[in-house]
Order: sequence, then C-alpha cells, then structure tokens
Amino acid sequence: MREVYVIGLGITKFSRLEYPLIEIAAYPSIMAMKDCGLNSVDHVYVANMGGSRISHQTALGSALVDHLSLYPAGAETIENGPASGASAIKQGYMAVASGVHDVVMVTGVERMRETNNLEATDFVASLAHPLAEQIYGVTLPSLAGMFTRLYMNQYGVTEKHLAMVAIKNHANAMHNPNAHLHMPITMEGILTGPEASTNNPYVADPLRFFDMCPVSDGGVCLILASKDVAKKVKRPMVRLAGVGQATDTHCVHERENPTDLLAVRGAAEKCFKMAGFKPKDVDVAELHDAFSILEIVESEEVGFFKKGEGHIALEKGYTALNGKLPINPSGGLKAKGHPVGATGVGQAHEIVTQLRGEAGARQVKNAKIGFSCNFGGFGNNVVALAFQKEK
Amino acid sequence: MAIDLEKLLRPVDHPVPPFPPKFVTLANGEEMVIRQIDREDIPALLPHVAPLMQVERDYYDIVSARLYAELLGFYRHRVQDEYVLVAQIDGHLAAIVNGRLLNPDVGVSYHTLALRRGLRIGAHAFAAKMEYHIDIMKQKEVLIVAESPIGFRRWMIEYQLEKRFNVAHELGGVPSYALTKKLFDRARESLVVGRRPVPEKLLEKACQAILPPTDPPKPPFDVLAATRAMYDSTGTALRASRQKLEGGMSK
Amino acid sequence: MKISILGYKCTKCGTIHYPNRAICRKCRNEQFTVEPLPEKGKLLTFTHLYNPSGDFDVAILDLGIVELANGVRITGQMKIDQPKIGMKVVGKIETVRESGYKSYKGMVFYKA
Repeated sequence: MREVYVIGLGITKFSRLEYPLIEIAAYPSIMAMKDCGLNSVDHVYVANMGGSRISHQTALGSALVDHLSLYPAGAETIENGPASGASAIKQGYMAVASGVHDVVMVTGVERMRETNNLEATDFVASLAHPLAEQIYGVTLPSLAGMFTRLYMNQYGVTEKHLAMVAIKNHANAMHNPNAHLHMPITMEGILTGPEASTNNPYVADPLRFFDMCPVSDGGVCLILASKDVAKKVKRPMVRLAGVGQATDTHCVHERENPTDLLAVRGAAEKCFKMAGFKPKDVDVAELHDAFSILEIVESEEVGFFKKGEGHIALEKGYTALNGKLPINPSGGLKAKGHPVGATGVGQAHEIVTQLRGEAGARQVKNAKIGFSCNFGGFGNNVVALAFQKEK
Repeated sequence: MAIDLEKLLRPVDHPVPPFPPKFVTLANGEEMVIRQIDREDIPALLPHVAPLMQVERDYYDIVSARLYAELLGFYRHRVQDEYVLVAQIDGHLAAIVNGRLLNPDVGVSYHTLALRRGLRIGAHAFAAKMEYHIDIMKQKEVLIVAESPIGFRRWMIEYQLEKRFNVAHELGGVPSYALTKKLFDRARESLVVGRRPVPEKLLEKACQAILPPTDPPKPPFDVLAATRAMYDSTGTALRASRQKLEGGMSK
Repeated sequence: MKISILGYKCTKCGTIHYPNRAICRKCRNEQFTVEPLPEKGKLLTFTHLYNPSGDFDVAILDLGIVELANGVRITGQMKIDQPKIGMKVVGKIETVRESGYKSYKGMVFYKA
C-alpha cells in the first residue's frame, strides 16, 4: 500500500449559495487544482446526499467531470448520508494507496437551502428506518433529543454543558472566514438570562435551537496524490495516515446499549491502528457536532476522554482553541455549517489547513497529527480519518 | 377648502395607552430595546424597508412592500388607529412590527419584519405586539395572517390560534386566525418576555436616532434572481458576470 | 381483525428482531416466524419534537423509545402528560402519520 498525501485544498463559504449545485461543486474544485498547480486528475469522487431530491440532479460525479472538462477521468458519486464526505475521501485514499490512480479529486457538495426548512429536515429524516422510525415522524433532531436525555440521565451532562459546546464553537468560527455563522453567543443569552427561553427555544427537548447545526449550502475539495506527485508539486507534505469505518444497527432503539456509539468507537480504533497513533497523540480534532451532545460523546468514544467524562474535560477547557486538545477549531458543524454531503470533506480540509500551518487566527500551535470523525445516519455508519504532517 | 378636504380624508384616532418600552438580552449577549414610535420617526424607517422589496427569499419582498405601504399610510394619516413598534440594538434597527385596532375589542396584526437574522428577533418583536394588543390595550383578540410558511408554522400552529376564516383579513382576504385573550394567557410564559423599565442609557441611545440595520438581507444582483435562475436556460453569461460582481462563493 | 406490530423470531436461536431483517443478528439463520410484540413495557427515553414534518398538523410531536415486556425495544409516539424515564407504559395501535393519500398505523404509548 502506497502512502497518500493531500496536495490541494478548496472550499466555498458555507452559507446560502444561490448558484446551481454543480457550480457549488466546481468552484472549490478549481481552487484545489490551482492550489497544487495540476491541470488534470485521474479520477473524481463527488460526495453528496440530497442532489437528487432537492436539486433533482443525480450522477454528480459525471456532471462535475464535464463542468471542469476533466474527461476522460472516471467519476463516481458517493452517498453515505452525512458521512458521504469522509466516505468519498476513503474511496480516494484506497484508489491512490492501491496504486490504481496517482491523483484523485474528492469534492463534497450540498445545496440544502434551495427548499424550505421543513423539506430540508424531511430529506435528512429519510435516513431513518422507513417502517420503524419514519412513520412516527422521527427526524434526526428527535433521535438526538432522545439520546441526549438518556445521556444526561446516566452521566450527568447538563444543558449548561451543551451550551458550552455551542459557545465554544461559535467563538472559534469568528476566526473562520468560511463559516456560516459569525456570531458569538453568550451563556446569559442562550441559557441563564431571563429571555433565554425565546432566544433558545426547545426543538427536541432537551436539545434547544442553539444545540442544532444550521442548514447550509457548501462545497469543499481535496486533491489526494501519491508520494511522487506530492513531492513534485511542492506543497506541504500532509499524509492521510489512517482511515477507519464501522457500522451499527439502523434503528436507534436496537442499539446494544442506547448510550454507546459503537460505530464511532470502532471506526476510531481501526483508523488509529492503521495510522499507528494513539488518541493521546492527536493535536487537533474535528468531531461531527450536528447536535452539541455529539461532540461530547464522540470525544469519549474515539478515546480522547474516558466514557462519561467528556463534559468534564469540556468544563476544564481542554477542548477550547487554546486547550490541550482543541476540538472543532473551525467552529464545528454548529457554527461552520453542515452542508450534509460536504461536511466530511470540510472537516478534512480544516485538519489539513491546521497541519499546514495556514489556519491564521484559529491556528493550533505545532499541530502535527490531526483527526476527524464523520458521523453518518444517527451513528450507524461512521468514518474516521487521521492525518500527519511530515517534514 | 384644503383644510376641509383633509378633515374628510383623515381618520380620527381613538385614544389608547402607549406601549411601555422594554428590553431583552439576545443570544449573543446584546441588548435589544423594543419601543413605540411616532409618525415623525417613519421617514427614518422607510429607506431601510425599501431595499428589501428586492429580496425574494423568505417572502421579504412582499412583506416589506406591504409594510412600506402601511408605514406610509400611518405617516400620511390615511390609516386609522395604527401603531408601529421598532426593535433596536445599540440604536441600530433590528425589527419593525405594526398593526391597528379594528375596534376597541379586536386588533389586527399587520407585519413583522426582522432586519437581522439568526437571533430570534422576529419572535421577540411579534410577542411584544401581542402583549401590546392584549395586556396593554386590553383587547379581546387579535386577527393574524401569515405570508411566509415560517410565520404560519410558528404562530398559527404553535400557539394553536383559532381559525376565523369567515373574516377577511385586511391584508387581502387570506384565511385569518385569531389570538384570543385565553390563548394568550395560556402561552404567556413563552410570549411575554422582556424586562421593564429600560435602563436609562439604553433607552436614551435608542430614542436618539434610528441607525441603519447592521446586517440586513441583501438584494441579489438581479431582481427575481432566485426564481428566474430556475428557468433561465440562457443564463450562463449572466451567471458568469454575476459571480464576478458578487465575489463568487468566497464571500 | 386485531392489528399488532410484528416481531420476527429466528427459527434457530429464538432471538426476536424488530424491525425485520433478512439474516438473524445472532446466528445468521435466514428463517423467521412472526409473532405480535407485547404491548406493555417501560419508557426508556423520550422527547418532544417542536418542528415535526409538514405531514403533521400538531405543533409538538411526542416520541419515545420503549422497552417491551420481552426485551424488544420499539420507537413510537407518546400520549403521556408527564413522561418519566422508567415509567410503565402500554401501547395501542393507531394511525400515526398521514402522507398524501397514504396512512400509516403504528404504536402510540399511554401511561399504564
């Protein structure tokens, strides 16, 4: 297996982008090609979840190749729910590591704001089980709400901890020009103040408005290449060191232990094993915080903190931008935005930017090893990636 | 002659108690003052409402066009018993809400225009309006319609407003709903928020001047761009020039 | 005719699955028999969803996960005023969602 490097990066602002879906995919792809100075790639992977339903367009991989005149490169569209992004990176990794291709382009794209909020929530809810969950009106926020209630009951996580996650991520996003939300929030404003109930109403109790990520449009591109190509291109040598994936039951009620996220645990284990790192080696991490509880739980399941102690580490400030292990320096999904198909690629983009030392005001000092966790479904398909900066 | 005509054309307003200003702390820690304004303040509002008539999404265009007409009607003495409340953050305009009294018992809610998104400012402003009708002017019910599906969901369904489909709302005969005193009392906890009196400095800043909104929704490069883009098969050239002007997807 | 939610019992090892799958989780057998799931259980967790899908007329949808008497868990709607984790509940089959012309029946839980 060859070594795989990330040589090009491109990203749009995550917000409301009133451009056709394919242009939202093309823009960061061109940026990434310019970043590494290449004019062609061997293969294109497009990660997307809702193109067919919201924009009525399928086969985005082929469409992107055409839009960028990259023929005759092969292309595929990868769909894995909210984990589409990391899954596409995984496919790109395997293509280069195996020797089949030398340079691949992985682009994640999503345009969700074309429709109204109800339609967007319905579309995301389509990943729940049709007969055992969807018929009851179960949406992702409701699954997260039920999970959070159990977690609070068992481990003592409080609404204050959830608010801390949101406040931290909003503060981080102030240093990220591409983030969806550029707005600091305060504990008084969202939880403890007298008007907090109107500012931050319940959406799926105990989760509130500011515990949920926004609906965003966005596109991100990563160019992966073999060592030889990476050396020629003269970009910082950031290696995609490990990839791990694991699955769990479809229905949330069938999980072995309802407060465990076994897929996260399994994916992280496999990823660290392949990369040869331990969780304590990680300098910076991007964890999938579509709901603020998930950042806390994932930080435990991947091995950064003991089970049930993620919120204590959060309290102590370990996961802040200037803490021992900064989590979500980009603002996370909460403040950076969550264009479903692009998120996984966006997380990888942030980690590589950090390892390259190009993160500006949100730079984590001396970041050498980075980790990202992309959560698909509601924890039934998780992909973890590990990156390492080399000399 | 002119004075007599004006007497005919100008309605006489009934005396009602003024809205006592209140303030709320928003999610980002900033404080917002909600206060009533007089006719003389309307000219300061109009230039901030006008550009929104070009913003198609979330029904900003139709709401701001109608609100503009209502504000002008209030200013030029051509609407009876209308009131206007504004919400300001550090003096900058954040929301405008208005309505009028149909008769001493029944009020009509006109519009709610939020000029800053993401902080639930519309929710605060709408609640203030309802408080004014029911708690302060002691009315029995308020008639409400919604242009936007967001508004519909939030107010009609969440507060379980009573249907009044036989009553044509002034705004255009669309199905109207009513917030009765009973429903208001039931939802009081979530509706009546905010504190009084407003600290002197805060109120002074707000009353001094209505400053422009800090981050209002911006009109696109071309009018009706959002709906036209869907059918615009020759739009390729238009899009290219638009991307250039707008700074592409990095902004 | 009484409608029930059906569990799928593996013919080899007896594990009851809900919802159905093609291969048994424990022993990988491919044959199942159906048997109705019990209606009594205990409430594991719940939520009140304030933004339900457009199909629903109500402003708030109450959902819960219940562990039934035989250990099988099920997601369903709730019609309970003051739900608590661990409380005893009993389920009834009712129409839970209407989407266009289709209507779906499922479990709604009440206080036992």
